[in-house]
Amino acid sequence: MPVIEVVDLHKSFGELRVLKGLNTRINKQEVVCVIGASGSGKSTFLRCLNLLEEPTAGEIYIEGIPLMEHRKDINRLRQRVGMVFQLFNLFPHMTVLDNITLAPMKLKGMTKSKAEEKARDLLDKVGLPDKNNEYPNRLSGGQKQRVAIARALAMDPQIMLFDEPTSSLDPEMVGEVLNVMKDLAKEGMTMVVVTHEMGFAKEVGDRIMFMDEGIIFEEGSPQELFNSPQRDRTKEFLGKVL
Amino acid sequence: MESIIKTLSDAIYFNLIREQRYVLFISGLGISLQLTLYSALLGTLIGLFLALAKLGRVKWLEGLVTAYVDIIRGTPAVVQLVLIYYAILGSSSLPKIAVASIAFGLNSGAYVCELIRAGIMAVDKGQMEAARSLGFSYARSMIYIIIPQAIKNILPALGNEFIVLLKETAIAGYIALDDLTRAGDIVRGRTFDAYTPFILVAIIYLLITSILTRLMGGLERRLHASD
Ligand SMILES: Nc1ncnc2c1ncn2[C@@H]1O[C@H](COP(=O)(O)OP(=O)(O)OP(=O)(O)O)[C@@H](O)[C@H]1O
Ligand SMILES: [Mg+2]
Repeated sequence: MPVIEVVDLHKSFGELRVLKGLNTRINKQEVVCVIGASGSGKSTFLRCLNLLEEPTAGEIYIEGIPLMEHRKDINRLRQRVGMVFQLFNLFPHMTVLDNITLAPMKLKGMTKSKAEEKARDLLDKVGLPDKNNEYPNRLSGGQKQRVAIARALAMDPQIMLFDEPTSSLDPEMVGEVLNVMKDLAKEGMTMVVVTHEMGFAKEVGDRIMFMDEGIIFEEGSPQELFNSPQRDRTKEFLGKVL
Repeated sequence: MESIIKTLSDAIYFNLIREQRYVLFISGLGISLQLTLYSALLGTLIGLFLALAKLGRVKWLEGLVTAYVDIIRGTPAVVQLVLIYYAILGSSSLPKIAVASIAFGLNSGAYVCELIRAGIMAVDKGQMEAARSLGFSYARSMIYIIIPQAIKNILPALGNEFIVLLKETAIAGYIALDDLTRAGDIVRGRTFDAYTPFILVAIIYLLITSILTRLMGGLERRLHASD
């Protein structure tokens, strides 16, 4: 059974039809990189996967559970799907440690000491062992994004969604975030990553999805998609970004 | 030079000391401060309630609040005060200061509602999304994430609102409440000095608002300690 299954997903904003019947299945431990031109609906697709965006039609199954049908359980279902945003969205009024411990404590009833122990482990893992008591505003972009990843991981999600996690970083900080994501992929996390980092997609992605015209226009392994794209639009896009 | 000092000390003597007129100013100030305090508390409660009603996403409630805010902001406070005074006085025996507090509280509530709403909407919308993506409900996201940040935006504006309110209460004399401004008026009626009593009144208002402004500045600095 796939961890994520998307069936005939449609999403419109008023008159604007962004997703026009998108279908896909994503398996456990698979790393899927989503690429495509600006405005092609990559973020919209990703945000539908945890219902941050309400689909206009279609169904999304997360570990077999149809989200649209279980809308009233959405808060519980979202705990299984972590999300990392382009602009980090750390909670500025809390320390790094509190950013990470808040959700496990409030939503899973974890004790403070347990949650903090876990947060420290996660901070070690993302390479920030000494930033516990710092406020987010004192961190660099790359550090912020690594804390954001730790925050999402603190809920032990089955799936991680990344929406251009390195697009707002200075070039010298892109690597440190991508490395954390690589480690995560190696550990077997199921990941959907919207990205412009073609190098990362090639190296870490099990599958590349090229989005255009509101659907998955073409997809395949990195070799297939990058080395021998089948369709003209795909070739044209890759010609511009590679 | 001597004659100026003489004129000045005479003016102060007649308007402040003679017949213990300072008592009028002091009790007037007391009324003004009480009225401001009660109206501020009531206004904050009403404003909070209205803001929650408006954020609650119930269409008709939202419409009702919008209409209320529009009416309050679109009509003069004096007119509201007098109307409420006669409306309430006709049916009860509440003391005047209570009636005035209700009137100013209802008025201030509309402004406070907008302050709170603006403060909440000024919080980056990515904050709500991050909270929701972790699994927090809308209400809990508001409580843990949005409102603590909004408070930093709201408190300074709320402080300002109360300083404005103190000055607004100067119209309480319209319903014959002996506030600070009316004390000046009463003294003027006795001494036939058009300037001195109101200059004194102005100085007292200025002193109080300066103190409040200082306090707000201190509070604001503490609120922004984490940035
Ligand atoms: N909340 C919204 N309301 C209205 N239109 C929206 C909204 N969100 C997205 N859109 C529109 O939907 C289209 C797809 O947007 P989306 O953000 O999914 O694109 P994207 O592929 O992620 O682009 P980018 O690479 O620039 O991030 C765009 O035309 C965008 O303007
Ligand atoms: Mg996007």
